[in-house]
Amino acid sequence: MNRIDASDHYEVTATGQTPSLLVVVLDTNPRAWQALGPTLSISAALANILVFVNAHLAFGNDNQVAVLAAHSHRAVWLYPKSPNNSSPKSSSKKKRFGGLGGDGDVEMTGVNGSSRNTKAAPLGTSANKYPQFAAIESSILSSLQALIAETDSSDIPYTTLVAGALTTALSYINKTALSFAPAKPSSTDPNASGTGNNNGSGGAAAVAGAQQAPGLHARILVVSVSDSAPSQYIATMNAVFAAAHARIPVDTLSLSPHAAPTFLQQAAFLTGGSYAAASLNPRGLLAYLMLGFLPDAEARQHLLQATQDRVDFRAACFCHRAVVDTGFVCSVCLSIFCEPPPADAGCLTCGTRLALGHYGSKPAVVPRRRKKKKKVNGVGGREETGSATGTPAP
Amino acid sequence: MSVNTNSLQLSDYLEKLPGTTFKRLYQQPSTAFAIFRRMLPHLAKTIVMAMLYMPTPFLISDLEIWVKPNSKRQKDQALATLRSLHIIQSAGPQSMTLTTNFRNSLRLALEGGGDHHSFGVPSTLPVPADVDLGFLDRYARKKWDDILHYVVNSVEYSDMREKDTGGGGPKASVKELLIAGRLVEKRSVATISITQAGFTFLLQEANSQVWTLLLLWLEAADANVERAGMDSVDMLSFLFLLASLELGRGYSTDALTEPRRNMLPYLVDFGLIYIPPHDHQQYFPTRLATTLTSSESSLRSVSAGFLAASEGGISDAGDKNAIILETNFRVYAYTSSPLQIAVLALFCELKMRFRELVSGKLSRQSIRKAVDMGITSDQIISYLATHAHEQMHRLAAAQKKPLLPPVIVDQIRLWQLDTERMSVCPGFLFKDFESVREYEDMANFAGEIGVLKWRNDRKGMFFTNKVEQIKDFMKNRRKAEQ
Repeated sequence: MNRIDASDHYEVTATGQTPSLLVVVLDTNPRAWQALGPTLSISAALANILVFVNAHLAFGNDNQVAVLAAHSHRAVWLYPKSPNNSSPKSSSKKKRFGGLGGDGDVEMTGVNGSSRNTKAAPLGTSANKYPQFAAIESSILSSLQALIAETDSSDIPYTTLVAGALTTALSYINKTALSFAPAKPSSTDPNASGTGNNNGSGGAAAVAGAQQAPGLHARILVVSVSDSAPSQYIATMNAVFAAAHARIPVDTLSLSPHAAPTFLQQAAFLTGGSYAAASLNPRGLLAYLMLGFLPDAEARQHLLQATQDRVDFRAACFCHRAVVDTGFVCSVCLSIFCEPPPADAGCLTCGTRLALGHYGSKPAVVPRRRKKKKKVNGVGGREETGSATGTPAP
Repeated sequence: MSVNTNSLQLSDYLEKLPGTTFKRLYQQPSTAFAIFRRMLPHLAKTIVMAMLYMPTPFLISDLEIWVKPNSKRQKDQALATLRSLHIIQSAGPQSMTLTTNFRNSLRLALEGGGDHHSFGVPSTLPVPADVDLGFLDRYARKKWDDILHYVVNSVEYSDMREKDTGGGGPKASVKELLIAGRLVEKRSVATISITQAGFTFLLQEANSQVWTLLLLWLEAADANVERAGMDSVDMLSFLFLLASLELGRGYSTDALTEPRRNMLPYLVDFGLIYIPPHDHQQYFPTRLATTLTSSESSLRSVSAGFLAASEGGISDAGDKNAIILETNFRVYAYTSSPLQIAVLALFCELKMRFRELVSGKLSRQSIRKAVDMGITSDQIISYLATHAHEQMHRLAAAQKKPLLPPVIVDQIRLWQLDTERMSVCPGFLFKDFESVREYEDMANFAGEIGVLKWRNDRKGMFFTNKVEQIKDFMKNRRKAEQ
């Protein structure tokens, strides 16, 4: 009522919460789950993750979810996948993404086809379940079963293809974000026939707007049980930088006490996501998820996120895919090598001929004559420390 | 400023309910789920979810660590909402838990277990061939537009009214409800006229209009329980159930209890559900019903839904978001719906009309005219905001500016204030504090939970519109001092 003096200033902003898209990447490496078996079985973990997914969807009608399995050799969509869904808006969207996934990922269509007919039966038979939740649950379970049935037990590596899953997730998020902004002007087209010009410019503005202020808060959650494979370093980091550029936080929950996903730790650090290791008590998975990973971008403005006190920043070299403490970096293309390239070959990535300077030689003990000219604390000191500022974040 | 008049109405209704009613309401998982989804601010939802599977009470001190210091205001508001809806309770001096019923029901809703049938029993009968999404949307829109036309036409377009009632206006029961709710007044036998509440109703978003009408209905049922034989708590819980149903699916009427089956004819009249004329065994929820608890600015989603449906065949998606407001006070509306034009004409000087476009101007006279009819500037502004064209939304998002030009918003308010230098609000005055510190603590607290209406630091008085939580705060404060 203090406004009666009319000195207040009013601003009307668009209300309503921004829809939020959560992509869960579930590590389904059979060996890692086997090792984790006594404390937490995959079915128990999956039940918890389903509750978490439902909780995310419960925030609002517009919230979306996608679930990917990062398997030992490939990434497989668990949800969404089925084109025959009930509501027209979401089904058309899903159809589009189903097609996209089918183009980009050959294996996925196989899983789709096999599970399509099993899906109709469980959906909606219960009056005790929210229809959307039931659909997601049956979809995830059936495609996971299909995935397990397909897995050949003879040849399973210890590592998981997280990079592939991250990349797929990012392309899905990008597609969804695009469909969020310019979809609306195109749908008004038949009604507003006289405004073609207006709509055209509107589309361009929407694309610009999507880059500045996204109409969709997206984030990725990786539930990891296995080690990061050094061989995937480059692919993972490319995905992480893409995510950082698109401002998509990559959260990671590590469950296994035997493994430490170092690259995902870096991913969380670089993208502003949160990282938590539940290795001490994997059974409390749901509590970790609900407390630490449920807040989306809107809630994170108000809440403190769990941060990491120590991040393993070691990189993997490009030549032998081994994690290195000290490496050699090409000054042209910034490739990392664990040993200096042979003198005649040059950089293995870009082919630039590089000179190694005086690496390995003993530092000169005798001070040069110049240093006598009162430059003891000046230039000389600075050369040693290098630049104090870090690499600029994107 | 948040333009959220709709949920205010529902929350007002809910806040009036006693705690025992909430206990009964929360027995149904669908109700707990709907209230969670619809009534809570975002931060409150996050807090509830964090507490949902927590084995021990949540310490307030932990919550304070979790929330960033400069979001204290949002946190207090979230807790205030949760308390007023009886979702959290104190478990000790410095801790809190979710109330038992709510916790169990929400868990059931998320996990999908139990045997409560609160998400509707689907019908096993075959779906009639003509019932598809497009049909349901057309049906709901027709029913709802009939009701709105009835209200709008009571203003001045008498010739249109004759025409429309001939084509089948709303049912007599709905008309009675509108009159009983004082949205329209009967002047004489044949003529009706709109009231101030009616204007408020008209200028709301579609979703809040539905809720307004439903709440009127609930209150009417409350008023004469014997005659109608309906229990408002059960009715409310059935409405929340409707909101969780799936569009386009048939549900069995046999599985409903007797009182709920009696509600169906009314819901058909509102356009919330459809019952095939030859087949009373199943009912179909329409988009009006399934979006009852959608939390975003709901008309946008409803009309977007209608728009998606209209791509298939109907060309007149009338009530879409089509208003562009420029800084030079000009208004353009891409619409040919007589309803929307009539509403616009209430506060806007319409100058030109083309096919699918009307343009006009906001002026001092037009706003004054509207204010004299009983429309407030807030209503006008929220109407403009909720019906803003996509282009306005995009521009606002791209340039990070407010949705409506602030100049216009301020000016509309100033024009209203020309005539009104007073605003009325029932509430409570706090004065004669023992110390300045006490006054400041209390006033700041009231401000944080959003009930403070006026304060005067020099006189040491302040005024709030609600008192319950301030009472608790006073008690705790006194305890802490002793």
